[in-house]
Amino acid sequence: MVALHWLAAALILAGLLFFVAGTVGLLRLPDALSRLHALTKADNLGLFLVALGLLVANPEPFFALKLLLIWLLVMAAAATGAHLIAKRAVRGDGEDAP
Amino acid sequence: MSELLAIPALILLLTLGAGLVRVVIGPTPTDRLMAAQLTGTTGIATLLVLAPVLRAPALVDVALVFALLAAVAAAAFTRQRRSAEEP
Amino acid sequence: MTNLLLAFDLLLSLTLVGLAAAALTSREPRRAVILFIAFGLLLALVWARLRAPDVALAEAAIGAGLAGALMLAAARRAARGARGPGGSESSAGQD
Repeated sequence: MVALHWLAAALILAGLLFFVAGTVGLLRLPDALSRLHALTKADNLGLFLVALGLLVANPEPFFALKLLLIWLLVMAAAATGAHLIAKRAVRGDGEDAP
Repeated sequence: MSELLAIPALILLLTLGAGLVRVVIGPTPTDRLMAAQLTGTTGIATLLVLAPVLRAPALVDVALVFALLAAVAAAAFTRQRRSAEEP
Repeated sequence: MTNLLLAFDLLLSLTLVGLAAAALTSREPRRAVILFIAFGLLLALVWARLRAPDVALAEAAIGAGLAGALMLAAARRAARGARGPGGSESSAGQD
C-alpha cells in the first residue's frame, strides 16, 4: 500500500515536471512554431502521467474509465488544434496590432 | 495522501499563471490561442488533482467537459482565418 | 494543508483579477475574446474550488466553450464590417 502511494507520488511528480517544462518552453522559445512544438506534446504527456498517478492512488474501474476518456479527448483536441494552429501560422498573416 | 495533493495543485496553478503571461504578451494571435490551449490542459490537470483534496468527485466530470470543449475555441479561431482569406 | 489551500486561493484570485483587467483593457476584439476564454477557464476553477461542481460545469460549457466560439465569430464580423467594402478607414479592422 505504501509502495503504491510512493509510485503515485512519483508519477504525479513526473507529470508536474512535464507541465513545468512545457510552460518554460512556451515562455522561452523564440518563435511560434517552436513554442507550438514544445507545448502540444509536453502537456499531454504530463496530463497522462498525472492521471496515471491519480489512478494508482485510487484504483476504481469507473474512475479509470473517466480518466481514459478525458485523456483521449485531450489528445484528440490537442492534435486537431495543433494542426490547425500550425497551418494558420505557416500560411503567415499572423501578426496583430499591439 | 489526498491532503498532500494540494501541493501539485498549487504548482499546476503556478504554471497556469505563467502560461497566461504568454496569452497577454504573445506577439501573434497564434501564440495567444496556443497558450489558451495550454491553459485548458493545465486546468484539467488541476481539476483532477483538486478532486481528492476537496473530496468532490464530481470535479472529474467538470474536467471531462473541459476536455470535450477544448477543441471548440481552436476550431472557431481557424475558421475565422479561412473565411477572412476568402471573402 | 490549510496554508497551501490559502495560497492556492490567493494565487487564483490574483490571476483572475489580472486576467479580467487585461481582457477589459485590450483594444482589439480578438485578443479580448481569447483573454475572455482563459478567464472563463479560470472562473470554472474558482467554482470548483468553492465546491460547486455544477456551476463549474455550466461555466466550463457555456462561458469558456460556447460563448468563446460565438464571440470569436462576432469579433470576425465586427472586423469585417469595420474594414468593409468601402475601404480601409478604421483601426478596428487590423486585428
